[in-house]
Amino acid sequence: MKHWNKILAGVATGGLLISATAALAGEIRVGITMRMVSENGQRYGQMVMDEIDLINKAGGINGNTIKATLMNDECKSDKGVANANKLIFQERVHLLMGSTCSSVSLPIVDITAKAEVPQIIPHSTSAKITQKGSAWVFRVPVSGRYYGGVNAKYVGENIGKRIAYICAADAASQNECNGLQEQMKLQHGVDPVYVAQVQEKEVDFRTHMQKIKSAGVEGLMVSAQAETMSRALIQSYEAGIGSGVRRIGASMASNAPVPKIAGDSVKGVFYAAAYASADTRPIAKLFNEMVSKRYGVHAPDHDFSQAYDMIRIVEIALRSANLELSSSSLKSDRTAIRDAIANVKNYQGLASGPISFCADPTPQCRDGNRTPVLIAYKKGGEQFETEVLARVTMPIDFGL
Amino acid sequence: MALLETRGLSKNFGGLQAISQVDLKVQQGTVHGLIGPNGSGKSTFFNLITGVYKPDPGSHIEFDGHDITPLPAHRIAGLGMARTFQLLRLFSEMTVLENVMVGNHCKTPYGVVESLLGTSRVRDSDRQMREEMLELLEFIGLARFADMPAGELSGGQRRLLALGRAIAMKPKLLLLDEPGAGLSPVNVDNLMETILALKERYKLTVVVVEHILKVVMNTCETISVLDHGQKIAEGPPEAIKNDHAVIEAYLGRELPDEEIRKAIRGGVTAS
Amino acid sequence: MLALLDGIKSVFEALGRVHRLLPWLVAYLLLLPMPQVITLIFGEYYVDLANRACLFVLLSVGLNIVKGFCGQVTVGHIGLYAIGAVTSALLALNYELSFWISAPIAIVVTGLAGVIVGLPSVRLEGAYLALATLGLGESVRIMLAVTPELGSSNGIMLIPAPAIGDFIIESFNHYYYLVMTAALIGIYFSFVILRSSTGRAFQAIREDVIAASVSGINVPFYKLLAFVISALYAGLAGALFAHMPPGFLHHNNFTVIEMVTLLLMVVLGGIGNIWGGVVGAIVVTVIYDQTKDYYFYQPLIFGVTMVLLVVFMPRGIGGVIGQAIVRRKFIEKHEEQNLGAT
Repeated sequence: MKHWNKILAGVATGGLLISATAALAGEIRVGITMRMVSENGQRYGQMVMDEIDLINKAGGINGNTIKATLMNDECKSDKGVANANKLIFQERVHLLMGSTCSSVSLPIVDITAKAEVPQIIPHSTSAKITQKGSAWVFRVPVSGRYYGGVNAKYVGENIGKRIAYICAADAASQNECNGLQEQMKLQHGVDPVYVAQVQEKEVDFRTHMQKIKSAGVEGLMVSAQAETMSRALIQSYEAGIGSGVRRIGASMASNAPVPKIAGDSVKGVFYAAAYASADTRPIAKLFNEMVSKRYGVHAPDHDFSQAYDMIRIVEIALRSANLELSSSSLKSDRTAIRDAIANVKNYQGLASGPISFCADPTPQCRDGNRTPVLIAYKKGGEQFETEVLARVTMPIDFGL
Repeated sequence: MALLETRGLSKNFGGLQAISQVDLKVQQGTVHGLIGPNGSGKSTFFNLITGVYKPDPGSHIEFDGHDITPLPAHRIAGLGMARTFQLLRLFSEMTVLENVMVGNHCKTPYGVVESLLGTSRVRDSDRQMREEMLELLEFIGLARFADMPAGELSGGQRRLLALGRAIAMKPKLLLLDEPGAGLSPVNVDNLMETILALKERYKLTVVVVEHILKVVMNTCETISVLDHGQKIAEGPPEAIKNDHAVIEAYLGRELPDEEIRKAIRGGVTAS
Repeated sequence: MLALLDGIKSVFEALGRVHRLLPWLVAYLLLLPMPQVITLIFGEYYVDLANRACLFVLLSVGLNIVKGFCGQVTVGHIGLYAIGAVTSALLALNYELSFWISAPIAIVVTGLAGVIVGLPSVRLEGAYLALATLGLGESVRIMLAVTPELGSSNGIMLIPAPAIGDFIIESFNHYYYLVMTAALIGIYFSFVILRSSTGRAFQAIREDVIAASVSGINVPFYKLLAFVISALYAGLAGALFAHMPPGFLHHNNFTVIEMVTLLLMVVLGGIGNIWGGVVGAIVVTVIYDQTKDYYFYQPLIFGVTMVLLVVFMPRGIGGVIGQAIVRRKFIEKHEEQNLGAT
């Protein structure tokens, strides 16, 4: 008898859930999966949620509110896949935002392609993401395929051709390291002087530094995540590699921990990124102020700016999309959102260049930003300073 | 005919000579006692012939016509040598029945792969083995507890089970390491009766290590005495009782013969 | 609660007396409509969760064989899982083998790797063995992380889902039948092994190595065998994981954190208790999923749970229930005995 009660309760709950789903019409459901293992990760996750709140408070999208679900994928593909499945099949989101890690975005692209859910990526650089040919994926950040070319051009013309590389094992670091090496070969016909493959969280680079020192190089690229990069930069000076050798950072050099941990060792480090906090445009100044006031972050990196740009692009797309938002229109609403994002052209936001998408499921259409900005550190520490060296808009087919 | 024979058996533990040049013969079908004060090397002797320890070079152990000196413990067990331990070493989380079935491990007629697949042959032979082992448990009076974890048994029942596990190996030679330790005199008598009954039933040769001299004196046909790792005496109980070296080893001093005999008859346990 | 479990147990035992495979058949039939039931009550995402739980059941049941039955502490299991996954994935991608061929090969390869992970157990015990196996497991992950052919930083992607003819097993529901069947077969063989002479040899080694060896058990051989069998389970789970849509493998799915989670499943369920391992795997998978929002506290909660378990419930859920049932029977037996005496 008891058990029957339980079963009935279960069925009743199931029924309630179904009717609750029906009542959700009028809500645009978006799911977000991001790496939130670091302090910064937490903050830009929060920023995305806050921005969505602000849109809702200002009247929402054409009278509809956005309901956002934020999930943490810890930068692990299995967790990211589980998140995506939950967001798509349980929350039945209209749009998926994420992830911030290439190794997580890569499998999710296959899920969204099959489930036919638009996916917009705030920060993953792996060129392969858009090369899969999914019609449902959009990338806000600069693709890794552009970074190599920009870096190689600047390095070859301004630094020299004898370059040593320290490459960490994570996806982004590997991509940028290989990208620069390939482009140095293509553009200037040179091979690396020295390449060190190191662990993701390596702490000791002294042997490599000694070898690099004796090899006599003009530039040293350190491609690694923030903490690892900082340690390597500090140890390069400790090993006695003078400031005459230019340090080249990967785009991860833009992450705030680098100047804080590396201190003076960061001075002169040059890197390409999608956003420069030293940008003098009013929109950038306002953004820096906002982030600093709300989240206590001095000079936000491009993880913040790209998350912000993503929200703005989503907002533009949602406003222009013709959404029915009934329980039966999920499929057509998803398609409408996809098409609306594909129609976003020449969005001028925080990013160093305009962001445009188009309908073809190709990297040319779906890598929205092709203008990396070259940035150099002028000063390290808590109150670090940077300067913009150049902005380069790459040809749309570059690196394909 | 000697079932077990050691020649020049020695064992040195980092400078400590635990067993030194022991020659010993155990005749088929006898109950052979092995006595000696604490630390005289009795347990080490057991550990050496069962392969738990490796003997020093120059030692030679022969069992049932095989040279077992270099063999690992499980191979020696497979040849038909079973033993009990002073501290029993039961598989306490396993059931009583499983304990004796482990004892029967060597007699498993099926191979490992077969056992993993659970073929019908495995099931049939396991069923048969189960019946056989239940019969054994019946004989030693533990059949009622067959499905209980061995750890739940009382002290006396555990001793019986340890014995049962050794018997389950269907051994030719049974080595008993202080089977009566910690038992009351009445229980010791019962236990010895059981051991003799088992010996008859399963046609065993038995070697007993004991502290309780009375037990050894009453049941053994031959007794060997160890002291400081050396064999100091060997012979029938009567001869041992009167051996001065033995008396000295046990009691540490010369005593008038009368007093010693009294002490031994009264069941003195050396300490 | 206990009575209910006891009741279920006796029903299944009664079925077992009709035919030994009947309880398994009934269990299988009961599990068949689960995706529909889960979808109806909780939603279709939870079928995906159930699929992942099944993979962990396989891993946990396999780990229980080496750790629970045989008492060998291993922290390298997740490395074996990785080997199974990557082997099957690469065979499918590079040689275009179907899942039905690549998975068995992966299982065999993982079994061989199990020999290597198990070798230290011949000489080492306890914490030292744990460290040695940890090193082996972690070196597998590092290999994957630095070798481009094994995925390195980008991971291995687009691993094809298993197919029967033209029918591709890719939806949550269809994959459920695959992993659930595998998990149930895994559990079944775990029982077969436990009840065989091999299972008794494993347990004897766990209880007392010396007593086991003088009882005629080839201790090093059976220790290695336990590692190999558990590796076969890990290999199967790995292959199923690799081909589960979206078919993506990355070395950071096989870190020490995953290994600790796996250990927690076995410890929570009850070391050496098959059903305990199954329950542990399901409970931990579900709790992990439901507490995702509290990411920062998860390791802390799991750590504290582990310590509390070891201190207050060393036999886990399964052990406590099993013990209670055994106790009750024991008391009954003693009462019978007393009645007989009077």
